[in-house]
Amino acid sequence: MLPRILLTHAVRALAFALLLAGAFACVSHTREQPDGPVTRTLTDDVGRSVSLPARVTRVISLAPNLTEIVFAVGGGDRLVGNTSYCDYPPEAKSIAKVGDTRTPSLERIIALRPQVVLISTSSQLETFTQQLQSQNIAVFVTDPHDLEGVFRSIDLIGQILGQKEQAASLVKTLRERTAAVEQAVQQSPRVRVFYQVSAEPLYTAGHDAFVTDLMRRAGAESVTANVPGAWPKYSSESALAAKPEAIILPTGGSMGPGNSTVAEALNRSPAALAGRIYKINDDHLARPGPRAVDGLEEMARALHPEAFKQ
Amino acid sequence: MTVALSDQTNVIAMRRGRVTLRKTLISCAVLAGALLLALVLLSLVGSEPLPARASLCSLLSFGSTSCGLTQDQFDILFQIRWPRLLLAAAVGGSLATAGASYQALLRNPLAEPYLLGISNGAAVGTMVALVFFGSNEWSRPLLAFAGSLIATLAVYRLARGRAGASPERLILAGVIVTTFLSSVIVFVTTMMDATRIRSFTFWLLGDLSGTSKALLPVTITIAIAGTIALTLNARSLNLLMLGERDAFDLGVEVGRVRIIVFVVASLLVGSSVAASGSVGYVGLVVPHLARLSLGSDNRINIPSAALGGALFVIVADTIARTIIAPRELPVGAITALIGAPLFIYLLKRA
Amino acid sequence: MLEARNLTISYNERVAVSDVTLTLAPGEITALIGPNGAGKSTLLRTLNGQVRPTSGAVLLDGQSIEKYTRRTIGRRIAVVAQEAELRFPVTVLEFVLGGRFAWASNSGWGWETERDLRIAAEVLNETELNELSERLMNELSGGERQRAVLARALATEASLLLLDEPTANLDLSHQATLLALVRNRCDRRQASSLVITHDLNLAAQFADRILLMKNGKAVRSGKPDEVLTPELLHEVFDVEVLVDAHPVSGAPRVTPVRRS
Repeated sequence: MLPRILLTHAVRALAFALLLAGAFACVSHTREQPDGPVTRTLTDDVGRSVSLPARVTRVISLAPNLTEIVFAVGGGDRLVGNTSYCDYPPEAKSIAKVGDTRTPSLERIIALRPQVVLISTSSQLETFTQQLQSQNIAVFVTDPHDLEGVFRSIDLIGQILGQKEQAASLVKTLRERTAAVEQAVQQSPRVRVFYQVSAEPLYTAGHDAFVTDLMRRAGAESVTANVPGAWPKYSSESALAAKPEAIILPTGGSMGPGNSTVAEALNRSPAALAGRIYKINDDHLARPGPRAVDGLEEMARALHPEAFKQ
Repeated sequence: MTVALSDQTNVIAMRRGRVTLRKTLISCAVLAGALLLALVLLSLVGSEPLPARASLCSLLSFGSTSCGLTQDQFDILFQIRWPRLLLAAAVGGSLATAGASYQALLRNPLAEPYLLGISNGAAVGTMVALVFFGSNEWSRPLLAFAGSLIATLAVYRLARGRAGASPERLILAGVIVTTFLSSVIVFVTTMMDATRIRSFTFWLLGDLSGTSKALLPVTITIAIAGTIALTLNARSLNLLMLGERDAFDLGVEVGRVRIIVFVVASLLVGSSVAASGSVGYVGLVVPHLARLSLGSDNRINIPSAALGGALFVIVADTIARTIIAPRELPVGAITALIGAPLFIYLLKRA
Repeated sequence: MLEARNLTISYNERVAVSDVTLTLAPGEITALIGPNGAGKSTLLRTLNGQVRPTSGAVLLDGQSIEKYTRRTIGRRIAVVAQEAELRFPVTVLEFVLGGRFAWASNSGWGWETERDLRIAAEVLNETELNELSERLMNELSGGERQRAVLARALATEASLLLLDEPTANLDLSHQATLLALVRNRCDRRQASSLVITHDLNLAAQFADRILLMKNGKAVRSGKPDEVLTPELLHEVFDVEVLVDAHPVSGAPRVTPVRRS
């Protein structure tokens, strides 16, 4: 006969074990194969071979540029979830939100039963990816760093969604528009531009930033094009000494109306003295999606108005 | 603790003997001279090279002649580097003074505004000012002051056990307040727009690049006035350092001195956090080194720590703004790199 | 002269000191004895104004102690307690000069005067610490450190000394040295002192008067041979003792006896 105290203890332990087991059961319950067998593989931007169902009907996008691409290739009706940053096209706002790009809710993603989750950053999501894969949800990384990368992303997402033709024609149009801009500014002298991400502290676009490639194509030369990194914090005196001829302020998009004045150090730059300060919608410049070509056109027109006189 | 300090004996042996007004004045004069020299020399260093001779010549004329500097070079020297160096000096002086007085008042060599969560209190105040009173520049130092005062009182109450505040208990209280306020900070960031969040995270690590010209005179005035106010209580702090009851018995008005230190030190921390974010470990490293070389007497320690702190932060900030030029590091990263190992060393011996 | 009249001190419900009256006369050492928790330290803390009595009054030269500033009290009453926290390196001289704080003309600032230095030198001499004056407090032995604490109290020139177990943790010779210094001060400068101690024999030897306390109440006050009786000690400490006369001094000598 067990002493009474031990018995109560055993009962409590058992109850605890059951609770734990119950908790695990909820977690480890594996979803059955969605919609048919795996029939194809695609290689994503980080070189992973991703197995995908033949027909993809449920997709989640974890980045605003990817959401824009999904809609642009005609797959918006299959987007079942996106992030709180995804605000374009307007239909994207009414789609279920799974958190933001950095901290998406795993539970909500699983609850939406997607077949594919599109993400733009590979580094921070390693464990996240593993957990999704254990639920038979494919994770596809596409992280464009330049305009060519955007075109490749469009092509890949088109393939994933079975919208190959629409994607191809979109890429074709975008390429033509890009070529037209490049053609127009070819004769004009390059403008030395400072791209101000924020004034205090002073951030700019570095070598790895998507917009650095856009500026080059728009007939500009970013004075910080060779600074390592994508968004470096920049020395005020170097900004002053760089004497930019024009300053671009990305502002007015989804990041809010901030960043609409030039940093104090640049107040007497040639750009400020000549009034060549251009505010351009940051969503067109900072999101590597289809609208980046809008940004390219807006920059080129602002910097080289003479080239666009008909 | 009895054995712990004996290996400092050799250093202290050299300066043993009583601290006098003369010694204090000499040490302050030497430090002030070094500070002035460092300000001049470090203003010649930066991501953009300036011609040294012409810059010196222009500096010596207090900017009245350019001595052949181009307009850009002149602007870099007087509009960018000098304000930033002066801010760095004011912030360093404020934090070191606050650290030295917290250490004496709380009888704890590990007390430091950043480690006690007091800087975080000021940071929360600054954030609230940015979110709700963004247009008013004065709201930043004011709310930062309120935040650091509240955090100070919270840490003090938490750390005071029945047996008084042990060093470990104080640090634990600091950890609690720091982590609590960090989550408050995370909450408030959700109310900020995205561009602000980015600049804010950098600022939280301590950053001197956003020197606000409007607040610079305020920060400098508070640094100087605060240091004087605390130095004038240094003799009381000398006794408080050896026990609150003993100090009371010997004639110190403990309650009054405590309020003065809390308010003035919070003002110092608040004004420097509002100007530059949380620059850590300055209040730990500098007073410790001052004690090591000049003794524990607060009459010499507080003003020396103020000057030494100014020196320390202008050097740290020069490293921060030049080491990966033209990119920049937050100055807090540099001070922590020096301060954290020293903290561990002190903690092991305490 | 320091007087306590009908002091009662209570914290919430608990009464720490109940209706104690006591006078510290010039030139006299009063020993305060009693079991742990008898309210001895609370009484001492009330005498220098740190603890406010619930009722009754502490009078310094006939005036309520609450009327004096801390600074004045610091010049009149010195306390030796087991506190000194030494987390910072301080030399013995600096430590002892702390006793001159209350005499400074300026509250939180100012420098020691020639007179301050002379007095510090005197008390260091008196406590035989002059050779150690440049040493750090942390480097001293327990006995030396306790002497330094006493030296600081003597440096205040206070005519009233309140000592809370000054001899705890000290060996025999240091105990005697320390109390001899207090005795000396009382004899030569007409100072009066109150010493809390657990050592009844030491009390018998050095004290002019003994106040015996239990549970916050004064059980008896008087000359050592009036207070240190087997009956009273049994009543207060609940232990059988033998009291005889010290062979040399003639003071009462207390020896606990094993109950058989």
